[in-house]
Amino acid sequence: MPRLSVLSEVQRQMLQFFPCMEADGAPWSPLSKPLNQATAAIVTTAGLHLRDDKPFNRDHPGGESTYRVIPSDSDAANIVQSHFSIGFDRTAIYRDINITFPMDRVRELAERGVIGSVAPNHYSFMGALRDCTVVAEQTGPEVAQRLKAEGVDLVLLTPT
Amino acid sequence: MSVLARVFEEAGLTTVAFALVREHAERVQPPRALWVPFYFGYTMGKPDDPDFQHQVLAAALATLDAEAGPVLADYPEDAGPIGLPQASEVSASTNGDTVKPLDAADEITALRGYYERWQEQRGRTAVGVTGIPQRRFRGIIRFLEAYAERDDADMDERPADVSVPQFVRYCADDLKAFCYEARMAQRPNDTEADIHTWFWGETAVGSLIDSITQRLNSTGDAKLQATAYGLSR
Repeated sequence: MPRLSVLSEVQRQMLQFFPCMEADGAPWSPLSKPLNQATAAIVTTAGLHLRDDKPFNRDHPGGESTYRVIPSDSDAANIVQSHFSIGFDRTAIYRDINITFPMDRVRELAERGVIGSVAPNHYSFMGALRDCTVVAEQTGPEVAQRLKAEGVDLVLLTPT
Repeated sequence: MSVLARVFEEAGLTTVAFALVREHAERVQPPRALWVPFYFGYTMGKPDDPDFQHQVLAAALATLDAEAGPVLADYPEDAGPIGLPQASEVSASTNGDTVKPLDAADEITALRGYYERWQEQRGRTAVGVTGIPQRRFRGIIRFLEAYAERDDADMDERPADVSVPQFVRYCADDLKAFCYEARMAQRPNDTEADIHTWFWGETAVGSLIDSITQRLNSTGDAKLQATAYGLSR
């Protein structure tokens, strides 16, 4: 995002006072193997899902805190977006899914030997949540366990 | 996003996060993050530019070299738009002077050839959240026209577990994707701002969506107003 100073007053205020969870310091788990041997997955908060999967739905209690599985060998033509926010420019993802979900780029990183391999699955959440409690305490840890079970070492997290 | 990075790292996974709002990353403190100075929707900087996207990815992966964190690095190069016009800004700038097609359904039919060309050229489409084939979008238009007038409008294709307001949102998203993709095929050199200005200022579909926003906003119902906030503003 361009620096807050270049935004309109309304946008600046909205972003400045967004109710983020706050922390001092961060957990730290360095890679246990060289990057070129690591298995990588993408976890996005762009509200993406397979075309025949259920769109994100606020009608369901906690529906905004759910996640979708996107197999890493999916065709980009089978992925659509049901993000709640209209505060981002969708022309970019209409043109190229890699703009927020760099599935082809990560595949190329494996082909070039920069990373070891691509995980079997990527995952997708809804972004811009004002309350992340369920994601932090339930669905996030659940996806962490799935990623570990699938042999993932490195997670790339992409917002939209 | 940054919250998930912390959850995953706590579980023993190594994470690299992209941050679009630096101030938020400073507060949430993901273990490793690259702040990118790009507009919302442009996390990797430039669509259809694999080389640029690889540069951004390489900068993110460089945060793995740090021996302690949190690490918040800055991507040094700007790219893409810095903001885009919203519906209300476009209508304010045109003062409603623009001549628009009378019928949104006819407009959809007229754009179909360009939409199909886009789909053919790109091999994909963002249309599909409603599950309704684009050749039946005239039905979506008739439903939205009714919903712009009254709350009890409905459509047979709405799944039982999706409320009418949520389904209206899915319909609007599909119509926007259809129109934008058609326009990008029709005028490949238009900027993102040109396309937004065209949609909200010159199309009957944009006017129809905006008329629903205005009706929902006037109801005083917080849930309907939340739907309106996701249609246009």
